[in-house]
Amino acid sequence: MSNAVTEAVTFWYGCNVLRHGDIIHGCLDILRALGFNAAPVGGPDYCCGTVKDSNQTTAGGMATRTVGRLNARERRVVAWCPSCHSHMHDFMERANERRFEITYLVELLHMNRDRLAPLLVHPVPMRVVLHQHVGFNEFVPVNRMVPELLRMIPGVEVVDHGYLAPGYMCASFAAVPAALRDIHHNTATAARAGKADAVVTTFHQCYREIIGLDAAGVVPVYNYIHLLSQSMGLSYRDEYKEWKRAGEGATELIGAERIAQVGMQFYERAMLPELKSRPKL
Amino acid sequence: MSDAAKPKADPRAKIGARLKEFQKSEVERILSTCTQCGKCFDVCPMARYSKAPATDGRQVVPGVLAVLRGEQGSPAALGWITACMRSGVCVPACPDNVDPRMMMRLARMTALGGREQPKQLEPKEDPDYFDRIRAFGRLQLTDEELKDWT
Repeated sequence: MSNAVTEAVTFWYGCNVLRHGDIIHGCLDILRALGFNAAPVGGPDYCCGTVKDSNQTTAGGMATRTVGRLNARERRVVAWCPSCHSHMHDFMERANERRFEITYLVELLHMNRDRLAPLLVHPVPMRVVLHQHVGFNEFVPVNRMVPELLRMIPGVEVVDHGYLAPGYMCASFAAVPAALRDIHHNTATAARAGKADAVVTTFHQCYREIIGLDAAGVVPVYNYIHLLSQSMGLSYRDEYKEWKRAGEGATELIGAERIAQVGMQFYERAMLPELKSRPKL
Repeated sequence: MSDAAKPKADPRAKIGARLKEFQKSEVERILSTCTQCGKCFDVCPMARYSKAPATDGRQVVPGVLAVLRGEQGSPAALGWITACMRSGVCVPACPDNVDPRMMMRLARMTALGGREQPKQLEPKEDPDYFDRIRAFGRLQLTDEELKDWT
């Protein structure tokens, strides 16, 4: 399942999606199947700096470093993370010379949907609601494009539900817990009202939050990359979902040997609470 | 004073300098453009989640501009700044092309002490943020992928 390589690109996946190796692999395999020779870069060493609002010296240093590293690669950048993509346009490129073209992944897939369509051969019988936010659409109209991509998958039915969460993605909402509760509640309500089999997210930040509904037994949750991959016959193990569903049992699933690589103390303090947390509905 | 006697410039002073310069010019643009009509607040879907809710944007926006000037913001302004999640619906609502999303972002950076002004909001930085990302990556990717991809 591969087209001739047409373009070498840098796949700038961001930081937090490192929780979801399956999503990174899915994106890479989809890009390669479309003929893009995608080289992934990301993690804290390629951070855009958007998380450093309280220290613009650090944020500025991160922005300069990351733009410089991406410039040095001398090829188009395909961005995965909506925070990185918007921060690039709002701040990074305003203070640093950007010498590469940047395209958001949804936009690239949408532009290449004629080549994507024949690859979507396996039916995915699923009635879904897409979890959407108000924001980010001024950069890329994801609320229009992602349903159009999902509807190309045989068997997928996207329910129009009319609920748009505030903000542009879920991650920062921990600082406003009442709003996060409403997002969980309204997303679950939209899924029930639409008689949906699943909720699908566009961004990994939302996947990480909304997957709590899956772990709580409310409704299964996927990212749109999962559905595209499945229809292309690509298979990955979504370990984050397994761990999240297991909660306390994640420790056994991950296993002592792997946990030792990050340190049991750190795992129990900084990772396990996230896996155990459930939405307050 | 001979060159040797001159105090050496702190090389760290250059870090982030271009970003700060851009932000300063944006603050000046916003302060000179905004007419404080309050429409950005009135359409904001997050305003109702503020810890100091208000009903009239005309009473809230002056406090946001005060923060941008380095002055003390009102409780209503700081509450709105905290609740802002970059929905962006304020942008087309602004009759003066201020870009209120940028205004709120800069106000947040300023209130958190990020732009070398006194802190008005306490940053809630997660000391494990990057280590947690690295650790999840360690559990999810192979050694080779970590070496080549991060």
